[in-house]
Amino acid sequence: MGATVRDVLGRWAIVLVFALLYGVAVLLSDAFLEPVYVGNILRQAAPVGIAAIGTTLVMILGAVDLSIGAIISFSAVFCAVMMQGEAGNIGIAVAATLVVAAAFGAINGALNLASPGSSFILTLGSALALYGLTQLYSGGTARGIVSPGFREFFNHRLGDVLPVLALAMLAIAAVMEIVLRTTRFGRQIYLIGSNREAARLSGLPVAAVTFACYVVSGLFAGLGGIAVLARSGVSSTFVGRGFEFDALAAIVLGGTVFRGGRGTVVGTVAGTLVLFIAFNLVNILGFNYNLQLVLKGTIIIVASAGYAWLGRDR
Amino acid sequence: MRNEPSRRTFVGGSLALALGGTSTLLTPLAARAQTTDRAAQKKQMAETVDTAKFKKAGPYTIGVAAGYMSNSWVVFCLQHIRWEASQHKDVKDVIVTDASFNPGKQVADIEDLISKNVSLIIYWPVDEKAIQPALEKAVAKGIPTINAGGGFTYSNGTVSNAFIDQYALGEMVAQHFAADLGGKGKVFAMLPIAGTTAAVDQLAALKDVLAKHKGIELLSAEHGDWNRAKAKQITENLLQRYPKIDGVYSPAGQMSMGVVEAFEEAGRAKNLVMSPGDEYNGWMKWVVKNKKGGAVTFPTRAGQEATKLGLRILAGQPVPRGLVIPSQYIAPAEAAKYAEMDKPDDWWASNLPANFKPKA
Repeated sequence: MGATVRDVLGRWAIVLVFALLYGVAVLLSDAFLEPVYVGNILRQAAPVGIAAIGTTLVMILGAVDLSIGAIISFSAVFCAVMMQGEAGNIGIAVAATLVVAAAFGAINGALNLASPGSSFILTLGSALALYGLTQLYSGGTARGIVSPGFREFFNHRLGDVLPVLALAMLAIAAVMEIVLRTTRFGRQIYLIGSNREAARLSGLPVAAVTFACYVVSGLFAGLGGIAVLARSGVSSTFVGRGFEFDALAAIVLGGTVFRGGRGTVVGTVAGTLVLFIAFNLVNILGFNYNLQLVLKGTIIIVASAGYAWLGRDR
Repeated sequence: MRNEPSRRTFVGGSLALALGGTSTLLTPLAARAQTTDRAAQKKQMAETVDTAKFKKAGPYTIGVAAGYMSNSWVVFCLQHIRWEASQHKDVKDVIVTDASFNPGKQVADIEDLISKNVSLIIYWPVDEKAIQPALEKAVAKGIPTINAGGGFTYSNGTVSNAFIDQYALGEMVAQHFAADLGGKGKVFAMLPIAGTTAAVDQLAALKDVLAKHKGIELLSAEHGDWNRAKAKQITENLLQRYPKIDGVYSPAGQMSMGVVEAFEEAGRAKNLVMSPGDEYNGWMKWVVKNKKGGAVTFPTRAGQEATKLGLRILAGQPVPRGLVIPSQYIAPAEAAKYAEMDKPDDWWASNLPANFKPKA
């Protein structure tokens, strides 16, 4: 197989996998043909999907952000506390949540600039600290009252089919894909991820771009937290725990590689949907929940082996 | 035991977290089905404990070894301990440690409390077996230990338990549910983490009650892990799988909320019969608004009863090995007396005075 064909395959493999899995799902259950059900799946995927879009930027840089689960948890609780059950507070609550989430991202960015090369440990550390802060701030209960109208808005189905939350994820994905492909910022991310040293030598603003990517990752985790709050309310101060790994799995499934320089937002969204379709399929067929875990693990292993195969000789 | 999603261990569990909802894999052994030989267990609970060796004069310091604090039920449970302590002049202090789901830390915490020479240790476990040696050490030093985590432990390290009988709770929920269904219909069960005493006993109680109501068909038993979002996702799928669902057995109000949301969004909530949940505030608010469902309580005053038990032990009075805190049925019409409409969902109906309630 020529390198070019492999290149194309490597880039679009997840879309093929997605189409294939969806086809299988349709054969096994006609629920997957019902627009309302598809809307459900998109909405289920939205919190993880939105957060994963932001983290994709960090991953293309060749780094990682393990703090997004903690930021999602904090943001969901914080946003509800800011709302205090008043419809008039929604705007300020959402804005404040995004500012705080972006600030957490900025702290991650600053830490990574101060001590480059260990984003895994640094963001694991900031995740731990933030989980602790969330407990201190909340006192252990998911304080706060969601304002009337907030959840109704995000769960409203346009044309009785597509929930606003699902549309939000797709719109955010489209915007970020365009940013990555067409803006200077986007191209700089790929260049830095491909070869950080070369990028630095050729005068690219490596520090600024790295910092910005972490801010975006934090900001999108904040959006993810708001999405969780909108989808199902919050009944725990750990609502986002484990989301960081779901997001990483989705990103890697989508063709973004750990060493950086490659990846797309479209791939990340497709990766998220593959994970969620797989869960729902197992569920709808009435299999044991633990089988979902087995399936999820298998998908990740097969996908990463597949990408390794596509990427060899390069 | 009332533990919810966050039952997973944290740092050590990060790999497992990668799998998302791995709670079943990480469920502490102690919480796994001590499948109930009910007759034997009832005998154990009814045992009288000789407390003479624990008798001591005040002032007392109560040590609380929390397995975790990140859960609204235990937050309320702890406030009940503080409240009860405040009513006794001879209790001069309450010292609280938080193991945040780490059994190793809870062992160290208990050892610290022993070396601080507390008069009494009240605890709720992460992993009951892991902390037994530390609890036994306390007992050997004359410090009585009481489990206030909602479950019953029978071992040398646990002098007494203030707990909630999950089978009795499940039975009461199932009986009201069957009555509300009029004895017929297709239903599914939404249960806590698979393998926990709560999940096993609640399902056993449901099946026993349904054996007397042949018209009710149990379509499926699901595990929503005390997680509202997960309960919602599972319900969305079940709604696809079954064109007709008449009712849902869901003893935990937290999960009931996710269940009803999925039904409401699917436009299938109109004739839905929800079983009673518990006195979780979000659920109580729903009951007030919808005038159905009701509740069977999972009382957070387990902490208060544990404190009272402890003070009786320190006075040298004999106590039972297991003190059941009875669950109580709240009919939909009475729900308004318990629901706190201006308080968060993640909150519990209780008799705590205002100055002992958690911050909202």
